[in-house]
Amino acid sequence: MDLNYTVEDVAFRKQVRTWLEQNMPRQIRNLEERKAWHRKLYEAGYLGMGWPREYGGQGARPMEQAIVADEMARAGAPAPTNGLGVGIVGPTIVVHGTDAQKRRYLRKILTAEEMWCQLYSEPNAGSDLAALRTVAEDKGDHFQVTGQKIWTSGGALADWGLLLARTDTAVAKHKGISCFLINMRQPGVDVRPLKQITGSSEFCEVFMTSARVEKEDQIGRLGEGWGIAQTTLGYERGGRALARITSYAGQYNQLMNAARRLKRNGRPILDDAVTRQKLGRIWADLEVERYGALRVLTMLERGEHPGAGGSLTKLSYSEFEKRFMEMAEEILGPYGQLTDGVPPEFRLEVDTAVGDHGTWAYAFLWSRAGTIYAGSSEIQKNVIGERILGLPKESRADRVGGTR
Amino acid sequence: MNFSFSEDQILLRNSVRAALDEQCKPAHVRAMMEDDRSGYSESLWGEMAKLGWLGLPFAEEQGGAGLGLVELALVLEEMGRAAYPGPYFASVVLAGLGLQAGGSAAQKERWLPAIASGQARGTAALLEDSLDWDPASTTATATRTGAGWSISGLKRFVPWAHVADVALVPARAPEGVSLFLVDPRAAGVTVTPMVGIDLANRWSELRLDGAAGELMGPAGGAGPVLEGLLRRAAVGASAEMLGAARRCLDMSVGYAKVREQFGQLIGSFQAIRHRCAEMLLEVEKAHAAVYYAAWALSAGAEDAAMAASVCKSFVSEAARQVCGDAIQVHGGIGFTWEYDLHLYFKRAKALEPLYGDAAYHRELLVRGQAA
Repeated sequence: MDLNYTVEDVAFRKQVRTWLEQNMPRQIRNLEERKAWHRKLYEAGYLGMGWPREYGGQGARPMEQAIVADEMARAGAPAPTNGLGVGIVGPTIVVHGTDAQKRRYLRKILTAEEMWCQLYSEPNAGSDLAALRTVAEDKGDHFQVTGQKIWTSGGALADWGLLLARTDTAVAKHKGISCFLINMRQPGVDVRPLKQITGSSEFCEVFMTSARVEKEDQIGRLGEGWGIAQTTLGYERGGRALARITSYAGQYNQLMNAARRLKRNGRPILDDAVTRQKLGRIWADLEVERYGALRVLTMLERGEHPGAGGSLTKLSYSEFEKRFMEMAEEILGPYGQLTDGVPPEFRLEVDTAVGDHGTWAYAFLWSRAGTIYAGSSEIQKNVIGERILGLPKESRADRVGGTR
Repeated sequence: MNFSFSEDQILLRNSVRAALDEQCKPAHVRAMMEDDRSGYSESLWGEMAKLGWLGLPFAEEQGGAGLGLVELALVLEEMGRAAYPGPYFASVVLAGLGLQAGGSAAQKERWLPAIASGQARGTAALLEDSLDWDPASTTATATRTGAGWSISGLKRFVPWAHVADVALVPARAPEGVSLFLVDPRAAGVTVTPMVGIDLANRWSELRLDGAAGELMGPAGGAGPVLEGLLRRAAVGASAEMLGAARRCLDMSVGYAKVREQFGQLIGSFQAIRHRCAEMLLEVEKAHAAVYYAAWALSAGAEDAAMAASVCKSFVSEAARQVCGDAIQVHGGIGFTWEYDLHLYFKRAKALEPLYGDAAYHRELLVRGQAA
């Protein structure tokens, strides 16, 4: 047990810090500028780092990836784009794709020449993803896709989508699902923004009506889609493990400053015992998240896969984020709810999940998403209970039979 | 960066667990709870000396194994898991680490080999009637006599003082708060049992009325030693709480796999399964908090003081939650004296307020940042 960073990691961190100081744009005004920043990161070797070298990555260690993300968070660097492409679609193609698919798609994901989304959730298939009803029908030389997807992050910008669709309704529901790559720029695909409680639209609804998927864009064999989707959910390689903590720590310092200014009964709330207890509790929680991140990175560095342990990590940080933002709202009072007209001293100086300059109000509302997307907290607890603790599965009505 | 145990550390943990599984079964804990003499087993104590546990963190020239706080935390976690009844924490952590940090060469030579070999037991009297952990709050007094010092005052919740050969006692000298070595059996010391809910973890009240004290460290200079000792004790107690919590989790999961209601195993109900998943998350976080802090203190890391407070504030509440949830998962049987769950529940509870409770350590965290 040695929780110091190695000499190599310290040197690498310094190199990244220097590069960011010299290359980071002051401001990102539109998608083109964001793509330009994305390409700059890629050309410097700081994007898609964990991908194998033969597909344009660096074959970098998990710790190096975590350090780059961490330094970006520390510097307040703008986020790159095409996150689902780089984080999920690319790795899926690397593992399950054909050589032709790898040649065709991978590089353009890294350069953000082609933007990607993930077409998984449906209105009636959320936590119960395997209940999805979108159908891909074999038309001989192509598949014809009809159905509706929802909660498609980045759908409005996407050129391509990673699609789960049903190809067999006669078998048990987990076994009739297949995985495809679908061109989003075609007449049969209609993308509509979904306005969230934040007032913004990072997610879309996608309507597919006799949309076309080429035969060569099938990933894996028919009926293997569920298994492929399970592995893609496991591609979280701890890349943002440290960055997340660093962002919160920066926000925590802003809250400390706010607590010096704001008063209760004539005294700064930072002198108030109740406020101090709240701050101390959230700081301890944050540090414990950091220790947990170091444990995960240790595993990844040794080439061990966290498996269902990833559910503990996701449950932990998403629930933490809610507690953190609730506490921020308690400290800031109505300042925390401002979406416009925020006095400079109470402005949140971070990039939000989508790269827009954030407000506390936005970050607070956004914190409600983390415990729902990518497997809700309840689903994570099921996974932990069944796969880590070995508790019996509940009896379920849908374990047997077809979906029709 | 390597947040995992070495092979040696894993071997140590496994051997401690095997020994305690064999010699510190619940039946042994219960026998010691009811024991009307010392409340611990001399033969197990001798065994622990032979295995090198009693001198684990002491230097080799003092009969110790020269290991660090990570190894000590591993042992303490296992002791929590077994609800070990005996003066291990009092002797090795409180007296041993206190002497190691603040004792003179002669004092270390006098006591550490004796503690390591099992011949002597020690403790520390860190708390007075006000329950303030701040060393500056000490009200016991020390006055010079011809030969040494005379100590008067009231100390409470002194672990295993009834079997201790030496106690570290903070008292206020004209120069300020100082540390003294006191023989609890000497004239002028009255030891009275304070019986808490954890009968396997014994406390005493120490009434000092002109008791002879041997100064340890400079007069008026006890502050840094006491602060360092408090941090180590906080992390050590957290390790024990972690062990107790892990035992409670294991028992709950085991029970949920065999107990049937409504014609099904209760572990198949999400109400139970989710609770168990939450318990595991708390236990894993507590593990990270304990071993990070143990490493940080051992390595003299920059954030060591903060890590100790993070650890104690987090683990105090996590262990409370997990051990409490375990009773809930078990239902009625978890509330019976006959079932063993309460041994671990009570161990965690007993340690929760000691060496600074969660609120105390949260305040320390914020004080460090707000300065």
